[in-house]
Amino acid sequence: MSELSNQNEMHQVPFRGGGFAPTARRGVGLAVFLLLIALTELGTQTGFITPLTLPKPSDVLKTFGELYSSGLLWQHLSVSLSRLLVGASLGASVGIAVGVMIGLFSYVRAGLLPLVAALFPIPKIALLPLFVIWFGIDEGSKYALIAFGTFTPTVVATYGAVDNVDRGLIRMGQSFNLSWWSIVRKIVLPGAMPGILSGLRISLAIAIILLVAAEMLGAEYGIGAYILEAGSLYDLERLFVGVAILSILGVTLSACIGMIERRLLRWRV
Amino acid sequence: MDIRLSGVSHFYQQTEVLRDISLEIPSGRIVCIVGPSGCGKSTLLRLIGGLERPSAGEIHQLGTPPTDCLNPLTYIFQDFALLPWRTVRGNVSLVLEDHGIRGKAAAEIIDDVLARTKLSDFAEALPKQLSGGMKQRVAIARALAVNPAVMLMDEPLSALDSQTRELLMDDLIALWSRTPFTAVYVTHNLAEAVRLGHSIVVMSRRPGQIREIVHLDTPLQQRGLGNAEMDEKQKYLWQLMRDEARAADAELIDV
Amino acid sequence: MISLNRRKALALMGGTIAAAGLSTPALSQGRKITVGALRFTSHSASFIALQRDYFKEAGLDVELKFFQASTPMAVAIASRDLDYAVTAMSGGLVSLADKGAVKIIGGALSEEAGIDGQKYLVSDAAFQAGVTSPAMLDGKKYGITSAGSSFHYMGSKLAQKEGITMSFKPLQKVGAIIGALKSGQIDAWSIVPHIAKPLAGSGKVHIIGNVSDYIPDYQVTTVFTSAKNAADERGMTGDFLAGFSRGVADYNATMIDHAHGDDGVAAMVDLIHKYVYADRPREKAAKSIINGTMRLNEGAALNIASLQDQLSWYQSEGLAKDSITLDTVVDASYVKTLG
Repeated sequence: MSELSNQNEMHQVPFRGGGFAPTARRGVGLAVFLLLIALTELGTQTGFITPLTLPKPSDVLKTFGELYSSGLLWQHLSVSLSRLLVGASLGASVGIAVGVMIGLFSYVRAGLLPLVAALFPIPKIALLPLFVIWFGIDEGSKYALIAFGTFTPTVVATYGAVDNVDRGLIRMGQSFNLSWWSIVRKIVLPGAMPGILSGLRISLAIAIILLVAAEMLGAEYGIGAYILEAGSLYDLERLFVGVAILSILGVTLSACIGMIERRLLRWRV
Repeated sequence: MDIRLSGVSHFYQQTEVLRDISLEIPSGRIVCIVGPSGCGKSTLLRLIGGLERPSAGEIHQLGTPPTDCLNPLTYIFQDFALLPWRTVRGNVSLVLEDHGIRGKAAAEIIDDVLARTKLSDFAEALPKQLSGGMKQRVAIARALAVNPAVMLMDEPLSALDSQTRELLMDDLIALWSRTPFTAVYVTHNLAEAVRLGHSIVVMSRRPGQIREIVHLDTPLQQRGLGNAEMDEKQKYLWQLMRDEARAADAELIDV
Repeated sequence: MISLNRRKALALMGGTIAAAGLSTPALSQGRKITVGALRFTSHSASFIALQRDYFKEAGLDVELKFFQASTPMAVAIASRDLDYAVTAMSGGLVSLADKGAVKIIGGALSEEAGIDGQKYLVSDAAFQAGVTSPAMLDGKKYGITSAGSSFHYMGSKLAQKEGITMSFKPLQKVGAIIGALKSGQIDAWSIVPHIAKPLAGSGKVHIIGNVSDYIPDYQVTTVFTSAKNAADERGMTGDFLAGFSRGVADYNATMIDHAHGDDGVAAMVDLIHKYVYADRPREKAAKSIINGTMRLNEGAALNIASLQDQLSWYQSEGLAKDSITLDTVVDASYVKTLG
């Protein structure tokens, strides 16, 4: 039938292959963000949005400016950052060590895996009062909470990453008579690095969440304490300033890990 | 250094994969092992290199390897097994570091083996930047760096396209001609076997047994494409293997 | 709608003819309202007014809603999920008032000289180390729920008066503060007597002073409502305060002045026990309830001077904007003012 149809007619073959391939569009995210802020400003200026619902973005910016110029921003930020740094690096380094051990030794795996599985779903915030008694109401309990919160996801990500290291590479190392330590250091750890780093991304986000929780108990300074105080005073401007600082902190940390990934994982296809 | 296998058998749980293999691998010769898929040739290679223990029988090294030999039994893998996070130079350096060879001494060895495998210009490249053929040349350079007494090659060219395979076979022949090395070369490709093997061990389907050992006397350099004698040998090998291969194929469906 | 309400109200009144004859005329005619409360004895006036039908006789159909803390209660008023509630004038309440959401309309609980009031407590560790009076708390850790809470105010006033400095540890919840005080993580705290006394009885904490010595006539808690109710629902608000005040009068007469003897006290304890310490046996609860007795403001009278002092303190601490005046926070037109 088709052979009988008009052969003189000529059509271009229709293109059907578009879409389904997201490409980078720079600045769109920022534009959406700015648009939302502009709409909020408009809404609050005209009174369409009551001051009880949302603060004026311009007031939030002004509050941030005041916080900055009073020097309190640095005071809050420095204690929070040091808590984050000490807690997260403690939790992540112990987590990586335990994760690697679980990945390498059958006995450690058999012994610790059920324990980690039992610890993972515990909301760490629930243990805060206990930590206060164990580690004191000052920095100790805050470090412990953040460390404990980052520990479990790091362990799970790390041993998964070690499990996923190409066995062929390990066999190659053995076939060249590399020592056990060399294989761990030069093959297992670099091979597990992508998994460990993506686990770290999650762990650090959890660390920021737990920072606020840790500062619930007995913190006079810190971004979390600042947010909680603003919340209890129903001071929306300060609340939003604090939340914005946390968001910026999260984006910055994520960007840092992205940079580390680009440096360390240059070899990835 | 020679390798001798006497009465080697191997089981995976209940499944017998190798039965009573006795074989001599003489120094300075390339022994090819061919057989249908699943006949246990790769297992045999792992047994020879000590990556697995045979269930029965013994494997001996006859004589001591030369003193400058860092790793007597050295593998070349089908999937190259290069560390993707190390450069070409770093991958070769990896196998020297554990022997305490660093700095200038290491650089000399690395430069030498990279020159022999024609990779000198790519020393700082990462594996992801290399073609399959180049990756396997890096693996060969790495193997050469430890000055092996016996090279254990597990289908080294199977992951490559046919042109690259031809080029690499030429490279291997050139390497052997310069300094003859001992090798056990496992392949399912009969053309490779007749190009590179001084003797070809034909194995039966599972449980793998030695069916016949075919000896080829033509020097490696003269076995180019279209050599009638080689075609003859290849045809003969195929006769030997065809029924086994068909049976092995059917067996896989049965399982 | 109106006729239905009227019929309903008439039916209700018919059922309580004797009581209705005594009560003030019902202006609101059986309007449904929700009142927020914490399960504390200081909220007894609401419980009494509900149980003894004082709200009903004032023409209001009251539903009690219980909360765990005062901040969510203030937010619930602001979002108009609640009509009336009783809580301390916290920084959060001032801020909500500034946003035009809530208004204080009456007083509830006051410190009064001669009547057992809130206590300053220290941990056993601090006590053993020689902290036996509030003046010795210099450099100590003082537990508060959050900045701008009534605990913060009480601690700060103490420090001010004694000329000492303390560090204030926000612990969010009363339970957390008690835990921290018992284990010696913090040194001092202040709390209502019905919590302070049993704690001191355990020996792990010690009472070292009275809040009333440092903050005389302290208006501890207030009655508050949404700004809209205060401005536009004067009839309903007046009715609520009338019902509430009868509850207050009953409470003060029975529990403090013993006008109805021990039987009266027992009956009132039974009533309160339905809401407070309901999970404990009556004998144990009775002790705590009687321990917790503090005078409520008769007629929901407001101590304006105390509120002004609190507001000024919030402002001096940067916890409230300087531009806020007491008029923004308080609508004093409903009740008698003191001070």
